Amino acid sequence: MIEIDSLTKRRAGKPVLDGVSLRGAEAGVTVLVGASGSGKSTLLRCMNGLEIFEGGTITIAGHRLAAGGQSIAALDDLRRDVGMVFQQFNLFPHLSVLDNVMLAPRVVAKVPVEEARCRAVDLLDRVGLSAFVAARPATLSGGQQQRVAIARALAMRPRVMLFDEPTSALDPTMTSEVLDVILDLAKAGQTMVVVTHDHGFAKRAATWVVELAAGRIVRQGTAAAMLG
Amino acid sequence: MIGFRPAIATLACLAAVAASWAIAAELDEIQSRGELVWAADQEGGGPHVFPDPSDPRRLVGFEVEFAELLAGELGVKARFQQGQWDRLPLLLDQTADCVINGIELTPERRRDYGCSRPYFGYALQMVGRRAAPPAMLADLAEAGPAGAWRVGVLTGSAAEIEMRARAARGEAQVEVIGYDGTLDSMEQVQSGVLDAAVLDDCIVTFYADRFAALRNVDRPFAGGLYTVLTSHRTPKLAAAIDGAIGRLIADGRLKKLYDRWDLAGRQQMLMLRDAAEIPVARGRTLGELVRQTLPLLLSSAGMTVLLSCAAFPLAVAAGLAVAVGRLHGPAWLRPLLTGYVEVLRGTPLMLQLYAIFFLLPKIGLALPALVAAIIGLALNYSAYESEIYRAGLKAVPLGQFEAALSLGLTKWQALRHVLVPQAVRIVMPPVTSDFIALFKDTSVCSAITVIELTKRYSVLALSTGRIVELAVVTAVLYLCMSWPLAVLSRWFESRLDRPAGGGQ
Repeated sequence: MIEIDSLTKRRAGKPVLDGVSLRGAEAGVTVLVGASGSGKSTLLRCMNGLEIFEGGTITIAGHRLAAGGQSIAALDDLRRDVGMVFQQFNLFPHLSVLDNVMLAPRVVAKVPVEEARCRAVDLLDRVGLSAFVAARPATLSGGQQQRVAIARALAMRPRVMLFDEPTSALDPTMTSEVLDVILDLAKAGQTMVVVTHDHGFAKRAATWVVELAAGRIVRQGTAAAMLG
Repeated sequence: MIGFRPAIATLACLAAVAASWAIAAELDEIQSRGELVWAADQEGGGPHVFPDPSDPRRLVGFEVEFAELLAGELGVKARFQQGQWDRLPLLLDQTADCVINGIELTPERRRDYGCSRPYFGYALQMVGRRAAPPAMLADLAEAGPAGAWRVGVLTGSAAEIEMRARAARGEAQVEVIGYDGTLDSMEQVQSGVLDAAVLDDCIVTFYADRFAALRNVDRPFAGGLYTVLTSHRTPKLAAAIDGAIGRLIADGRLKKLYDRWDLAGRQQMLMLRDAAEIPVARGRTLGELVRQTLPLLLSSAGMTVLLSCAAFPLAVAAGLAVAVGRLHGPAWLRPLLTGYVEVLRGTPLMLQLYAIFFLLPKIGLALPALVAAIIGLALNYSAYESEIYRAGLKAVPLGQFEAALSLGLTKWQALRHVLVPQAVRIVMPPVTSDFIALFKDTSVCSAITVIELTKRYSVLALSTGRIVELAVVTAVLYLCMSWPLAVLSRWFESRLDRPAGGGQ
């Protein structure tokens, strides 16, 4: 499902990713760990075309990303199959919770209104927020907002979900309510790549752990082998 | 009590200084100063007062020479003071001692100002295009080939009053359109926007060569007399001016002056000799004034509302499109849009309106004044709105754009559904404030014959002489319109519950 070959990315002349190759994340949960500035978030953002890279290729959910950027149409196609959850949630503040989740199915996938609403209500139920469909994002706690963001990404039924430090902005209680949702997804067989500092989570969920340092992969292996 | 007296003394001094400084001077003061300040509008053109074509720094015209003769009779020099024609009498409360600029002697003026004995007689002359109707004045009684005849006049002139009166009495099927510049109406006849123009005959004769495509329609009609206007506060000056005009007529100097300007001196002298006494109009009570002017002011307020409500949505739509184009459009488009904004922001609205209304007909695109005004206001304000929207779009956090893209939205879908709706909320306060500004800027449209509230006020204030009372009524009308707007927009803002930032 995900294959990365000799990925190189520079920022202001300095390599941020330096010949990263990754294989074996066929299905299940790949966790990227490493210190701040090791390049793990950048690697994740390269996977759905939010960052342009200078060398190497990425193949993800059947889409191939080449160095130097993609055509707009190719990126739009890719992003239908690859969902993303951000550290800062990035919910659309002018829309209700329900409309946040319904927007992409309506606009991108042209799903009829009623079907999109059913799908959104189901997803919000799945993340435990069916009582908040009409609320504005700003009235929700951080943990609730992040669960809405997960439901919003799932609404496009992506083949791969990318999580960029999904709990870094949350306190421990809210963290666990978000992690529970992600673990449920993993159990249901959702392929995902998660950037995290949380080793406990990595242990419980990861099928494959990749450690980066200074833009290179220094170790990778099963959760048991990597985290003990 | 201490400190009170000095305060009063200071106030009194200030008042005295203000009075001596700001108000038309009485005869002895003029003579000790050695200068008679006379006001006129050189834009009004020939043969009255206009810049010498061979040396534009110098003013010439029969009224320039008349003012010099008059000042000479008072034993002083003449000094010219520029003013806008329809507001010249207001200068009598400022720096001018008298107004000499084709001011017609009317009963209302005799009531409100000091009016000298007449120094010139004129008649009205209609002009049209060669070989185009109307052929005679009487033709105006029936509608023209394209409905009511479109007839241009100088705003506030005797021609305007005469033509509007004929239209009101049903004697002429005309739409009377008022212009700020004397020659504007003749230009518009020549370019085909108007069917005819009505002006003082001496002006038509003077400019006959320049407007070779025009011809006089029928004989001059509905004449009148020019007077020197002074303030009621300077009766000695008024009497001195009357005496001076009498001497200029008696010793033949005025006749010579008119002959030099090809203004039929002998005929003028007979007209001045035989002119009937003009009565003084009765004063009006405040109630009568309001009753008589309010309907006119209200209908002009309607024009103000129409102009703003039609122009602003266009300005907002165009401004948003320009902002999006500058931030997200193709590379070749961005400098063009930047140029659009800078040109429209960097040139006066008045000039843009002139260009649309007076220049476009020269390339065959004649727009009705109202349409030209709406387009001009919309274009001008679109430049300002686009800058506001550009700032608004930039204020939406980048994460919003990334989140939209990561969901598979295209750039344009992200703009349409995520960025623009948030930007619109962010810029609500400055946009509302611009709406109120546009609302007041509509007054510039009077330059292209659209009469809105400010213009109507100035015309009425002039014809009634009740400047202060009508200013209060007009200001109240403006507030009645802009206040609800402000309340409405605050309600709208609170309803939109503007986001604090990136959706946290």
